[in-house]
Amino acid sequence: MLIEIKNLVKNYVMGDIQVQALRDINLTIDRNEYVAIMGPSGSGKSTLMNILGCLDTPTEGQYLFDNVDVSTLSDDELSAMRNREIGFIFQNFNLLPKMNSLQNVELPLMYAGIPKAMRRERAIEALERVGLADRMDHKPTELSGGQRQRVAVARALVTKPGILLADEPTGALDSKTGVEIMALFDELHREGNTLILITHEREIAEYSRRIIQIRDGLIFSDEENIRSDDVEEKIYKTRG
Amino acid sequence: MHFEEIVRVALHALMDHKFRSFLTMLGIIFGVASVIAMLSIGEGAKREAIAKYQDLGVNNIIVREKKLSNAELEEVRARFSPGLSINDARVIKEIVPEVAQVAPQAEKESEVKMGDMSAKSTVIGITPAFIEILNYETEEGSFITADHYNNSLKVCVLGAGLANSFFSNQSALGKMVKVDDQWLEVVGVMKSKAVFTETVGELASRDLNNDVYLPLTTFNKRFAKENLLESEIKQITVRVNRSDKLMESAALIRSILDRHHFNNQDYSIVIPFELLKQEEKERQIYNILLGAIAAISLIVGGIGIMNIMLASVMERTREIGIRRAVGARKKDIMSQFVVEAVAISITGGLIGVVLGVVLSFSISLFTDVTTYIRVYSIFIAFFFSVLVGISFGYLPAKNAANLEPIESIRYE
Repeated sequence: MLIEIKNLVKNYVMGDIQVQALRDINLTIDRNEYVAIMGPSGSGKSTLMNILGCLDTPTEGQYLFDNVDVSTLSDDELSAMRNREIGFIFQNFNLLPKMNSLQNVELPLMYAGIPKAMRRERAIEALERVGLADRMDHKPTELSGGQRQRVAVARALVTKPGILLADEPTGALDSKTGVEIMALFDELHREGNTLILITHEREIAEYSRRIIQIRDGLIFSDEENIRSDDVEEKIYKTRG
Repeated sequence: MHFEEIVRVALHALMDHKFRSFLTMLGIIFGVASVIAMLSIGEGAKREAIAKYQDLGVNNIIVREKKLSNAELEEVRARFSPGLSINDARVIKEIVPEVAQVAPQAEKESEVKMGDMSAKSTVIGITPAFIEILNYETEEGSFITADHYNNSLKVCVLGAGLANSFFSNQSALGKMVKVDDQWLEVVGVMKSKAVFTETVGELASRDLNNDVYLPLTTFNKRFAKENLLESEIKQITVRVNRSDKLMESAALIRSILDRHHFNNQDYSIVIPFELLKQEEKERQIYNILLGAIAAISLIVGGIGIMNIMLASVMERTREIGIRRAVGARKKDIMSQFVVEAVAISITGGLIGVVLGVVLSFSISLFTDVTTYIRVYSIFIAFFFSVLVGISFGYLPAKNAANLEPIESIRYE
């Protein structure tokens, strides 16, 4: 079991009122699963993603990541956890605008304390994996949206993390480019990566193998997703 | 993350905003430059004062006859004071324990002639001890020797200015000059001395380079007094073995002279070292003031850094969030921003050092203020600029480190 969440509660204080973002979440995710967490805005899916991504800690309950209780970790340990085990992919890419693709991909390795030569080698490898080896010296502004997201995927992959955590990864992309990214995810999954997709779009969630729906801070449904022929076809076509 | 890595990241961030970084530096640049310039002005004034008093001798006590009008002169003579005399000098040497040497000197203002040239000069009758007491040096030839003195020879030593105007490039040695109606042979020429425009106690400022020195014996024998009431000598320079005995010895000299002069205050005592100390004390207050002004400008520079850094942290909230998301610890972010602040202040400090040195040289070049840069002042200024960078960079860096990664990554 890679991820095990037991009776997880997350409360926020907003002004004077306490908001219960997550009420009682129980969840397990295995290695090499491809899970979509779905829910409308305000459902608590972003809060769950923050906790899964070690950006935030639960108010109550347990979050075991590879048998490590995340809620007991210090800030530095959480940073190390994010660095080694979590690969973030964001809706708006979140690349550093002044750095070129290679430097952006190298960034997590730098905080991991990996020497420059090896860092470069691994970053190039990751960029090759997403098909952008020829865009190494380009800055984000010189890349298309799809290319930017690929750089972000390379950055997420470069530390060989336990999970790839994608938050609305196609939200800022046109549908064709979005499908390309989803096809890339599909490949990554088949290569053995564990993927967690956070989305409010049914269409995107359909690419995953398991869909968890969240409503009002609770898990509403958690089902295996048998991909439709339509989705398979889109992926197949994109792969060409 | 390795230190060089942090430095590299910080320098990149600064290079991305060259103009802004430069503006941020300006405060430090001017702060450091003004610290160096101010300290160099203070040091220059100090050196000038030391040089001035060194010429008078830091271990010396100078007893000088007061300038008296004829009426006053008549009055002190009527009250039995013989005025300063060679005997006074002898008694001081015999009685005051710490006295190493005394040099009495007689003076008169005369016209010195050489060929058809002439110059106004102070003619000074001295003993051979004079040169060792005052640390004077000859450029060529010798000073008045014991032989000249004992035999009252008609010889003289010329000040550098006088020798130069009479003989320009030629050697003055062996040449004859005429003082009043006496022909004197030049046996030596003094080294050039700085001209002081300040009057120290009874010692009126004058150009020492126009002096003519001759044996006191010759002086007394060959030159008539202008006034019969005039005292035998004008000045006694007393050299004391230890500078901490200056005050004691001066008091003793005073009591001896008071007795010999029947309590007539027709002389005054100048202790150059004491004057130096006093002047130094006054100057110190002035220096502290200068330093404080410079320090304030450094602090203002530091506030400038803090200001820009705080704005920069705000502007880079997203960047900080991204770095935190991919694994940067608080201290990585913290050190990145502190190093940025320090890099600004080091660079500003270095530019400031250069500017300060240039400023200091310009001041001494274009004004009559003397400046002197001591190496330590450069280090002090630089050290403080770095200190300012660290202390004023700390708060913005702490703010940056404490940003919540979740919120900062969504910051627009």
